[in-house]
Amino acid sequence: MIRIGNVIVSEGRGGVYGEKILKGYRVWDPYRSKFAALARINEETDLESGWDVLYLGAANGTTVSHFADYVRTVYAVEFAPRPMQDLIEVSERRKNIVPIMADATRPGEYAAFVSEVDMVYQDVAQPNQADIAISSLPFLKKGGILILMLKTRSVDVCETPESVFEESKAVLESCGLEIVFTCWLKPYHKDHACIVCKKS
Amino acid sequence: MQRYWFGDIEDNGECRPFKGEPEEMIERCRSIESDMKAYMPLSMAKAVECSGISTREEYIGVLRKVCISLAREKITRHYSAGDLELIQMVRMLNELDHVINLLVERGMEWYIVKNPDFSRKYKNMNQKKVIGMMRRQKRSGLSSIAAEIDALSDKRTRLMKEISARAADVAPNCSEIVGGLVAARLISSAGSLRDLAFLPASAIQVTGAESALFSHLKGGTPSPKHGIIFQHRRVHNADKSVRGKVARVVAGKLGIAARIDYFRGEADEEFLEKAQERIDAVFTGGEAE
Repeated sequence: MIRIGNVIVSEGRGGVYGEKILKGYRVWDPYRSKFAALARINEETDLESGWDVLYLGAANGTTVSHFADYVRTVYAVEFAPRPMQDLIEVSERRKNIVPIMADATRPGEYAAFVSEVDMVYQDVAQPNQADIAISSLPFLKKGGILILMLKTRSVDVCETPESVFEESKAVLESCGLEIVFTCWLKPYHKDHACIVCKKS
Repeated sequence: MQRYWFGDIEDNGECRPFKGEPEEMIERCRSIESDMKAYMPLSMAKAVECSGISTREEYIGVLRKVCISLAREKITRHYSAGDLELIQMVRMLNELDHVINLLVERGMEWYIVKNPDFSRKYKNMNQKKVIGMMRRQKRSGLSSIAAEIDALSDKRTRLMKEISARAADVAPNCSEIVGGLVAARLISSAGSLRDLAFLPASAIQVTGAESALFSHLKGGTPSPKHGIIFQHRRVHNADKSVRGKVARVVAGKLGIAARIDYFRGEADEEFLEKAQERIDAVFTGGEAE
């Protein structure tokens, strides 16, 4: 990751969403993007230039555009039409983004367009987030990493975020994933947890 | 055989890239849905090799084009559904109500400063009267702003009528049961007519009362009896002892009506007659079952 002081930036030319430019680099706002928050919290977070990434829940393409600055290819899966319009705009300008309009809960819808990836990144507002993450495992290479940005409030508002976090971790571990890092994304995102797993 | 966007791969590993015009390729991609049980992930190198495209960059380039066209198509199809505009109209109506209320309240404060001996107490003043009063303030900015608020209220009324008419078109059965405006509000709150049609009646009954519902689910408070459907006269005019029952029956009938609206799209007279009868029976307290 490129850091200027403690600010995380990415290299791409041209702003995507009116972000600040620092010494010619695009500032990656941790309050806006959960991945930037993770990179602020965990210094060892990295994206490698040779990677292919599967991104579930791409939304407007803010984080996607920063990913595209670092890695080789991003498969960006998004279901809702309104953010998809923006995502298409973003991918028209960045040649390594493949926008796929499909339901992340149904991998069969996007499987035909995706090849094996080095990293799966998931940021969806669904109740069964851990199951969705598991359903994307066939696309992940051995030794590849899966980053789950867990919106605990989308899983169950009546339970405490902590218990949702524990349950999700248990689900991931029961499917043979090795959890390498977990954290809460405080103070950048409320009630959001991050779980980084490795496929062995 | 596995199907991919660029073609098929036989079980023995033989590649069969699709040959044809770009339009045909997109047409083919539209229908692909992989069976995840049998799915074999491809490495990027294998995919490029199999597709018959010479380089990785070109492969991604073609794939992007296909995916973008497919997505554009889906977006266009999504926006062509009739209920989407209706939802925007309902949301605009809600915003208008909000804004008009704010403006009238602020205008009232201003009016009171200019007329220190005025008091609203013991006066039955509806919004129309208040606006009229403000308009009569001569040589004041308040008067012209009040005129503006008045014009906005007229537009709001017109929008409301438009919504009712549109709802009768999009969801004839729901509109017949609870009126166009309430039907439109339900569709807007569910997200679309399709979403409303897939909701259980119990959810329809309490949409619009989410805060009460969740405080109930967290424990302690009583469950809400009605949400948006309270705005229907059969619910809010019902006697307190049967209001919950009426709400439940109306919601039940709405659930059926929404499904008829979504899947058939036309009014079902026989169903409507029976539904109305049943609602009336519960309303008058003559429920036997």
